[in-house]
Amino acid sequence: MNRQIQDAYIVAATRTPVAKRRGAFKNVRPDDMLAHVLSAVVKQVPAFDLAEIGDVVVGCAMPEAEQGMNVARIGSLLAGLPNSVPGITVNRFCASGLNAVADAANRIMLGECDIAIGAGTESMTAMTQIMGNKVSLNPAIFEKHENLAIAYGMGLTAEKVAQRYGVSREDQDAFAVASHQKACAAIAAGKFKAEITPYLVRGHLPDFASSAVRIVERVFDTDEGPRPDSSLEGLAKLKTVFAAKGSVTAGNSSQMSDGAGAVLLMSEAALKRTGARPIARLRGFSVAGVPPEIMGIGPIAAIPKALKHAGVNLADVDWIELNEAFAAQALAVMRDLKLDPARVNPLGGAIALGHPLGATGAIRVATLMSAMQRGEAKLGMVTMCIGTGMGAAGLFEVV
Amino acid sequence: MSNFIIRKLAVLGAGVMGAQIAAHCANAEVPVLLFDLPTKEGDPNGVVKRALDGLKKLEPSPLATADRVQYIEAANYDQDLAKLAECDLIIEAIAEKMEWKLDLYAKVAPHIRADAIFATNTSGLSINRLAEGCPASLRPRFCGVHFFNPPRYMSLVELIACKGTQAGLLDDLEAFLTTTLGKSVVRALDTPNFVANRVGVFSILAVMHHTQRMGLGFDEVDALTGPLIGRPKSATYRTADVVGLDTLVHVVKTMTDNLPGDPWQRFYSVPQWLQALITKGALGQKTRAGIFRKDGKQIKVLDLAAQDYRDASGKAADEIVAILKNKNPVEKFAQLRASSHPQARFLWAIFRDVFHYVAYHLDGIANNARDIDFAMRWGFGWTQGPFETWQAAGWQAIAEAVAADIAAGEAMASAPLPAWVFERNGVHEAAGSYSASAQTLQGRSSLAVYRRQLFPERVFGEQETQGSTVWENAGVRMWTTDDEEGKRVPVLSFKSKMCTIGAEVLDGVREAIKRAERDYHGLVIWQPKPPFSVGANLQQFKPALEADDFGLLEEAVANFQATSMAIKYAKVPVVAAVVGMALGGGCEFTLHAPRAVAALESYIGLVEAGVGLIPAGGGCKEFALRTAQAAARTATNDPMAFLQSVFMTIALAKVSRSAKDAKEIGFLKQDDIVVFNPAEVLYVARKNALAMYESAWRPLLPPAGIAVAGRNGIATLEMMLLNMREGGMISQHDYKVARAAAVALCGGEIESGTLVSEQWLLDVERAQFVELLKTPETQQRIAHMLEIGKPLRN
Repeated sequence: MNRQIQDAYIVAATRTPVAKRRGAFKNVRPDDMLAHVLSAVVKQVPAFDLAEIGDVVVGCAMPEAEQGMNVARIGSLLAGLPNSVPGITVNRFCASGLNAVADAANRIMLGECDIAIGAGTESMTAMTQIMGNKVSLNPAIFEKHENLAIAYGMGLTAEKVAQRYGVSREDQDAFAVASHQKACAAIAAGKFKAEITPYLVRGHLPDFASSAVRIVERVFDTDEGPRPDSSLEGLAKLKTVFAAKGSVTAGNSSQMSDGAGAVLLMSEAALKRTGARPIARLRGFSVAGVPPEIMGIGPIAAIPKALKHAGVNLADVDWIELNEAFAAQALAVMRDLKLDPARVNPLGGAIALGHPLGATGAIRVATLMSAMQRGEAKLGMVTMCIGTGMGAAGLFEVV
Repeated sequence: MSNFIIRKLAVLGAGVMGAQIAAHCANAEVPVLLFDLPTKEGDPNGVVKRALDGLKKLEPSPLATADRVQYIEAANYDQDLAKLAECDLIIEAIAEKMEWKLDLYAKVAPHIRADAIFATNTSGLSINRLAEGCPASLRPRFCGVHFFNPPRYMSLVELIACKGTQAGLLDDLEAFLTTTLGKSVVRALDTPNFVANRVGVFSILAVMHHTQRMGLGFDEVDALTGPLIGRPKSATYRTADVVGLDTLVHVVKTMTDNLPGDPWQRFYSVPQWLQALITKGALGQKTRAGIFRKDGKQIKVLDLAAQDYRDASGKAADEIVAILKNKNPVEKFAQLRASSHPQARFLWAIFRDVFHYVAYHLDGIANNARDIDFAMRWGFGWTQGPFETWQAAGWQAIAEAVAADIAAGEAMASAPLPAWVFERNGVHEAAGSYSASAQTLQGRSSLAVYRRQLFPERVFGEQETQGSTVWENAGVRMWTTDDEEGKRVPVLSFKSKMCTIGAEVLDGVREAIKRAERDYHGLVIWQPKPPFSVGANLQQFKPALEADDFGLLEEAVANFQATSMAIKYAKVPVVAAVVGMALGGGCEFTLHAPRAVAALESYIGLVEAGVGLIPAGGGCKEFALRTAQAAARTATNDPMAFLQSVFMTIALAKVSRSAKDAKEIGFLKQDDIVVFNPAEVLYVARKNALAMYESAWRPLLPPAGIAVAGRNGIATLEMMLLNMREGGMISQHDYKVARAAAVALCGGEIESGTLVSEQWLLDVERAQFVELLKTPETQQRIAHMLEIGKPLRN
């Protein structure tokens, strides 16, 4: 194995459908969801020796409880990957899944291995308190004014962004409706079919009449979040939840969700050896910090950094997966960077499709890869804001 | 003696009343089936399920806790009639249509077990005619049980026998209704609309008649006929809107149809204008318009002259208010009659006609005068029934005035007052209340169930006992009753207004505990009238606050804490017997009592945040201790798992909506006792004290080491506050107050997991309390509460 910098190619990407929190995946464990996408993604290329996988990097924003104990390793073993294949869980909150793909690519680019998997899994159902199973803040946060925003809830930061960037309630609601409409249209047109590996949900339920355990099976193959009946009138009725005189509602925020995604990457040598066909290569990836109280503008810092790193122009990016944590921050980012709305989330975003935190990055890479395979994108970006004030952006170029 | 146990109950009809009766059974741990017609498409129990959903939205809530609804089993007449065989009591509560009821009876009768009771909740149809619709074998077990809306809150249930009803059956049922469901039973006769609705509806018709005759506004009349004369805030017309104008018409019609020859027959009809409202679909609250209508925040009232709604602004005149505020009823009525003010003439007229009506009808509609008075208190929320009002105002003087008005043609009917009226000096006496039909005084029911009511509600003129005082000071009275158990367990009652807790109460409680430890087997803290206590007497803080004497204030708080601890660690059991509000310090006493016995309708809470303070009579300490103990039973030993909800409870000054709710919140312990009938609380509390004494009970030793949430816990709770403040949902001072609660609940700014004592926790909460007292914002809140009686948001 040589030690020089080389390109990393994405040869396959898949995901589960995304379920609403306490929805179709309410009894499905995040390690099982991960195992599902890991075993599916390796089957999408001609068979190869799985022991060649150099690392399985898995993003997870709350790596504890059902998704604790290094879920990457557990998911790999449950997926039947050889014992010799290592696994690592990475946490960069909402960018965990994207960061996992970038980290997996790094393994290849640095020549550490020729094949790697970047993935993400998150069950927000399992996280009963959302902020983790034991919330405990550092008293030091409250001792200094400049540290207070560490303790800000995400919704509050969205309110701050809406205020500072002048994003109105009406614009946020309209953006949310559009997200639902685009997502519903995409589902109707079957645009997610290729990227989703349906999940056979097997529920173990009590059959009270016979006192036996009843197995209930259901094939889950379509994202649960999008609402065809979403309307401006309906959204206008929702109450703001994070601020008394605010504009952010449950309706113009991302949905809490459960899901997983996995991306298989190879070096040029591995492509030749396995006969796998590359879809795209990672052109660049950057992360940048912003003030925690307006964490939603993270992409404003991360996107130019990534473009510069990759040496490409924004005008050439024809497909942007901008995670819709909140309509307020998505609109602030789009306006500040003058992103072309037609290129942003053509199939809808997290307000409709859901946002399983640490899995979202890997899931949206799968969406972008699918668009590239359909010939709808040449140079694409996946980007998101990150709690406590960061942004991440990854650029992918069709091969 | 044999036990009478309702193992399962069925309610037929999932309308407003049926569903709420079922809910109250579920509140009382009585398994209940709720039946209605099958739904043709979809879930056959769709009608009932929708009714159950409706229960969750009703205000005030018919459910003691939100989860109660899941204990009501949905059923339908097509599939589930066989399940009636499981039921010991079946209450029919379908629409008031004789044919529908009779059809249903034919359908269900074959499924009713031979020893089960079948009862109708009709509000006015003849019980005997309904009984004829039952097979002969069922009639001895048929009767009327008439609940009032809303059944959880209205205490009255009228119990009506049909001709063949077994006597013992009604006695058993009365005990069940009284103790298990906590209702107040009046035995009624099978006359149209029974007792309460007969008199209550007539009273409404009389008000309507005189309103129109004198050309008064509906808003003005409501101002006159509400709390000023001891009736509910919704007074007359708003009550009609709440009940539903169509429903009102329905009960009036029962009287129109069934009371020919009654001297008031020509008034048994609803006025034209009311009929017109119904035609327009303005049925009251349920259609958002009736006699009143809400336009945004403005309440509008129908104006008959203008034939339109106008702003409601009617008021009682100052001179009338002055008369009504007179505490001497003899003078009050004399002044009302002497005044030429139209409002006074109106008020006298409505009293006069109701007096006339009940005197005339006493022999026909009720067993005795007490039953009519109680029916009006319990079924219509009057603080006094018509007979006792009359008697208090001077029986003969009023009788002569009524007679004079009848003679002058001023009364609504010309029938003379019955002769007995002039032969008596009242209807209620020590020996009992007058029965016009039996022409004698009738004492209280001798049923065993009433032995559980040591101090039942009394009508004016009835004999009242107050026990023997064994010790008292300016704040409290310690007393006993003369029976064997009463001599063993004295009662401690507070003398203060709303049973607030000031220095003299604190001293009195501690002294009483000393005496109980020396001479008795327990002590019950119980108030002859609710509330249990609305908390600390803030008035007593004022001088020290004005003098900036915080040392004195701290001493007062320490005194409070010492009293709570004295309750907790008394060597004989101190039982808190709670009825109604137990707020602030009242809640803290309840928390510290080794046992509380609480009426279902207990509203318990730590509301100190409203005046910018935190609980410091041991309330925060007790919750810190309990969360630590709960956490110690879990694998993670993390008190935060329990503290967050406790913290929100205190920060938001949450008050329980029932005793069962109080258990869920944690204001009552799981082994505290919930009693459905408030009149039985003292009895049960005393029995509990005795049982504890007989069990050789001793107070638990003070906990050895309490693991607190400490600094990390405070920071974690502070996160919530920060987000609420930054979101503009709470003020800076709210933040400060809630943070002080967080510090007290987390055991101070020390390392998480540190082991502390109760005294440390008391010291922390006291220090936080005094710091808050020093802030101008808290002082403003206290001053505002003392002046206005409502919390100030600053």
